[in-house]
Amino acid sequence: MAVKTEKKVLGMERETFRQLMGKYGVSLIMVVMIIAIAIYNPRFLSGTNLINVITQVSINGMLAFGMCLCITIGGIDLTVGAQLALVGVIMGQVITNSGMPVIVGVLVGVGMATLFGFINGFFIAKFNMFPFVVTLSMQLVIRGAAQVISGGRAITFDATVKNMYYGKFLGIPYPILALIVVFILMYIMFHWMKLGRYILAVGGNANAAVASGVNEMKIRIICHTLSGLLAGIAGVIMAAKTGTGQSNIGVSYETDAVAAAVIGGTSFAGGIATMPGVMIGILIVGFIYNGINMIGIDANWQSIIRGLVIIATVMLDMAINGKNRK
Amino acid sequence: MNNKDEYIFECEGISKAFGGTQALSDVQLHVKKGEVLALLGENGAGKSTLMKAVIGLHQPDTGTMTFDGKPYSAKGPVDAMKAGISMIHQELNPEPYLTIAESIFLNREDMRGIILDKKKQNKRAQEILDQFDFPYPATTLMGKLTLAQMQMVEIIKAVSCDARMVIMDEPTSSLDSEETNHLFKTIRDLKARGVAIIYISHRMEEIFEICDSVAVFRDGTYVGARSMDGVTRDELISMMVGRQVKNVFPKVDCEIGETVFKVEGLTGEGFEDISFEVHKGEILGLTGLVGSGRSETMRAIFGLDKLTSGKMYLEGQEITIKNPKDAIKKGICMVNEDRKNYGLCLFRSIRENISLPNLPAKQKGLLLNQKREKRECAEVAKKLTVKAASIEHNAFSLSGGNQQKVVIAKWIMANPKVLILDEPTRGVDVGAKSEIHSLMCEFAAKGMAIIMISSELPEIMGMSDRLLIYHEGKLNGEVSRQEILSGAATQEVILTKEFGQK
Amino acid sequence: MKKKLAMLMAATMVFGLTACGSSDDSAAKDDTAKTDDAAKDDAAADDAADSDAAASDGEFKADVNGDGKIIVGYISKNLTDPFHGPINESGTQKLDALVDEGVIDEWTGILDGNTDGPTQINCAQDCISKGCDYVIILPAEAEASDPAVVQMAEAGIHVVVVNSKTNSTDDLAMLYSGSDDVQAGEMMGNYIIEKCPDGGKYVHCNGILGNSAQIQRTEGIANTLGANEKFEMVADEDTQWKGDLAANAATNAMAQYGDELVAIVCDNDDMSSAAQTACNSNGRSDIFCIGVDGNQTPLQMIKDGELGATVYQDGVGQLGAAIDAIVESINSGSAPAEKEIMVDFVLVTSENVDEYLQ
Repeated sequence: MAVKTEKKVLGMERETFRQLMGKYGVSLIMVVMIIAIAIYNPRFLSGTNLINVITQVSINGMLAFGMCLCITIGGIDLTVGAQLALVGVIMGQVITNSGMPVIVGVLVGVGMATLFGFINGFFIAKFNMFPFVVTLSMQLVIRGAAQVISGGRAITFDATVKNMYYGKFLGIPYPILALIVVFILMYIMFHWMKLGRYILAVGGNANAAVASGVNEMKIRIICHTLSGLLAGIAGVIMAAKTGTGQSNIGVSYETDAVAAAVIGGTSFAGGIATMPGVMIGILIVGFIYNGINMIGIDANWQSIIRGLVIIATVMLDMAINGKNRK
Repeated sequence: MNNKDEYIFECEGISKAFGGTQALSDVQLHVKKGEVLALLGENGAGKSTLMKAVIGLHQPDTGTMTFDGKPYSAKGPVDAMKAGISMIHQELNPEPYLTIAESIFLNREDMRGIILDKKKQNKRAQEILDQFDFPYPATTLMGKLTLAQMQMVEIIKAVSCDARMVIMDEPTSSLDSEETNHLFKTIRDLKARGVAIIYISHRMEEIFEICDSVAVFRDGTYVGARSMDGVTRDELISMMVGRQVKNVFPKVDCEIGETVFKVEGLTGEGFEDISFEVHKGEILGLTGLVGSGRSETMRAIFGLDKLTSGKMYLEGQEITIKNPKDAIKKGICMVNEDRKNYGLCLFRSIRENISLPNLPAKQKGLLLNQKREKRECAEVAKKLTVKAASIEHNAFSLSGGNQQKVVIAKWIMANPKVLILDEPTRGVDVGAKSEIHSLMCEFAAKGMAIIMISSELPEIMGMSDRLLIYHEGKLNGEVSRQEILSGAATQEVILTKEFGQK
Repeated sequence: MKKKLAMLMAATMVFGLTACGSSDDSAAKDDTAKTDDAAKDDAAADDAADSDAAASDGEFKADVNGDGKIIVGYISKNLTDPFHGPINESGTQKLDALVDEGVIDEWTGILDGNTDGPTQINCAQDCISKGCDYVIILPAEAEASDPAVVQMAEAGIHVVVVNSKTNSTDDLAMLYSGSDDVQAGEMMGNYIIEKCPDGGKYVHCNGILGNSAQIQRTEGIANTLGANEKFEMVADEDTQWKGDLAANAATNAMAQYGDELVAIVCDNDDMSSAAQTACNSNGRSDIFCIGVDGNQTPLQMIKDGELGATVYQDGVGQLGAAIDAIVESINSGSAPAEKEIMVDFVLVTSENVDEYLQ
């Protein structure tokens, strides 16, 4: 192409501008959304409400970061909702029913979730099975395990466990701190370490990655294991939030995690994702839920509105980005 | 343009911009009935864009087109096909589970009411196939055909739709000499039926062999048209590049040192009992028909496929390679012939692509030293003259030649002892091609051992210090540079070896 | 460039949150030591003085947050199942009417609880943010929805729990309006005992395990059928409130136990009507299927003689009683005298079905 005629946008080269929008276009959408909701109900912008929303999104946030990794390597993790239930009931058995320290329950719960993530990855990478099929089946296995462990009953937690959700450090609720820490770690892993590059390469073109010396199987297993680990952490937050471990919790929580990842620019074709994008996606999903309640939209329309807003966000982002996203 | 009636297709004043990039400006083209017109130009000169505008994949911003004396415009390939223009794309995307007949009549199936009339369809397909002496029955699955045969089916499909103009985009890029000859025979058949053909190729020899006239493009503009009678190769090249290119293969002889890499009795899927060695500073050429086992051997050496037996020695020491990771660690790198599938992550940046195999060397503790990575990638991209405004741009935005340079850049950064290049100049324009050749000489001069595969005989003869010839999975002869230079080993000699005669 | 922007974003986020958090920090200082303070929300702290007064036996205020407006919140259990549909509908009509009459200033609209504890907790926090004074909640779970009640109560809101209790409803809610699910289970058991004097084998189809309605109805069944020696429970199915799963269970049991099977007892009547349909289509209309709720489909089946009986739960009545109590409380400026309103279950058979069928 003739380079000399290339136009500049805002003083930047077109391609540079395109890539910049690819990374930050979605945050513009979020700002517009915030303004729109605030016009309907100014209380939306109150400190209390904003803290609420961000605390609320912490569970979906953990799931979305893990989901983003799995989608980036061209797969999906449908087990995350069931993992929430599993972690809760394990914590219940260990802490409430066996009287062991909270930290033991947390470690065993998160450890089991991580193990199940590893098993997902192992089946997918080793036997070259479709992630959709593997995680759909494992979802049943994990929820079943939760039912067996709990005997179908709810197990109540005391204040120490609940404090992990409702407690604060320097005025910031713990779940928000956890979300920030996880975001920073994910950012470093994904953008500053070689692991992140390998994940993007395997997702972008697995053959080329292998031909460049990347161990594809290892990367796939790592992504699903991390997704399990993050679902485990989300499970702890969930247990603390509800004050109970029970096997029927977290049904269809995958949907919001996928929505957040996709709104954040994660491509289902694989190989395209950024962690700041996913973070914004997580917030947008939170604002959609909160905004619907704040505006007071007619009950029967809420689900439709939620779905349409997600589609509109992704489309708007695609329009801003041009063909960067597929 | 004196006799308007003899042109079947004409376009004038075609311009097309993508965003800020002017891909075509004020371009014209005139195609006569029953002629083969070559489109020539470097990658990115606008040939493909113009052709896509003709079949309606792009809508031109300005300009007029006439086909068969009537104003013409197409909203898409189906439109174009209805009007009588078909395009055979460079990359074929066949449906492997369709039969030949189903493929030919896709979207215009023979129906009896709402039920497919397979019998009639197969019979009609067979009739057309027979006209072209196609060796398989119409009920064969597409997946069983070779690339050349699939291409043939595409051409037959075009003819069966009564196409009066067929556009072929680099049809020979994955064909061997025999298949190319068969294709040319078909092209002559089409000509005889009065079908006009627009033929896009980078291979000058083919253009001289099959085309009647040629239109040259450069940087999105139309340079001019010539009849093939009386035009010289040098003249065409200078029209294309806007400058005189003298030496097409700038092979520099350099000192050949001790043996770096040696293989003995390598056997695997598609090749058996292959033994050779390659020295420091040497360019070892491998040639043979497509499917003769050249690429398969190299893939196995690099660890992409499995070896069933055989030994490999690097600098005198026996080595085993289980996967590409092992090979890279030991200093053996490979530029794959399949750039899209094995070379690049197209939607990642140039920088990320270049540094992908070299990340372990760029770690600072647990983190990547991104400053160093950026600096070194920029250096190597500059050295290899990758044409991009920034190394942060996606590999997708580059032309084929520049993409190939990015692939080479990532291996150069790894500083290998042995560099395997499988068809390094396929789909690359003339300018980039000669740059890649110069680079190869430069690497050899630094003491790298280079193994190069090419189906293009003049290229491989021009570049190799030694040339090994494959036939049906085995080595069938070796030719030295002296023999080539002295004229003892001509293209004919090598081709006969490729075809199996000793 | 990229890195800088990312850092800036992270910094803004942290800073913004600290800023938001700091205001409540000071307000909450005096009672930081209490353990249950962990569950306190910011709003609780902002209105610490008011809420403490309201929560304790001190002066009762209808306008808990002193914003001059009476706002009522409504957290539904869900928007989709046929039992809650009419309840939500009647809630919308009644609360709209109250706004029109000027009794209350506004209400939140129906917030979607999505049959999920954590979602209801989020809705509760949204109600606090919106400045609600009274919130009606139809809990999804006894345990998992409880923090919703706790947090609103601690924010000073008058919580009105309808239909089923959460664990701390008795301690914290201003009012509970519901029915005794054990009673429903016992009514089902007694009906079967009456209809099958010779006893036999029966199947129990559970709701989602862990739901309070599932637990208590099961208890009621155990108190009656389970304690009767003539009856034997041959299957305890995890049918998750779902009719299709109950129909499967019915088909399986018929195949396995044949004529010995006399009854299928279900935790709701979506399941009992589906099970009865499966029985009838297999020529076994002699099997007695019974469930709880009084949804339209089973009622119609009773009218058509296809189903023997169902136990009607007056959800609309429960909600109506709750809203009446709220109006009373606003007008009188005091908490309702009774903290619990019990609305009876009714056994609906062909004799009285017309009263309930719409």
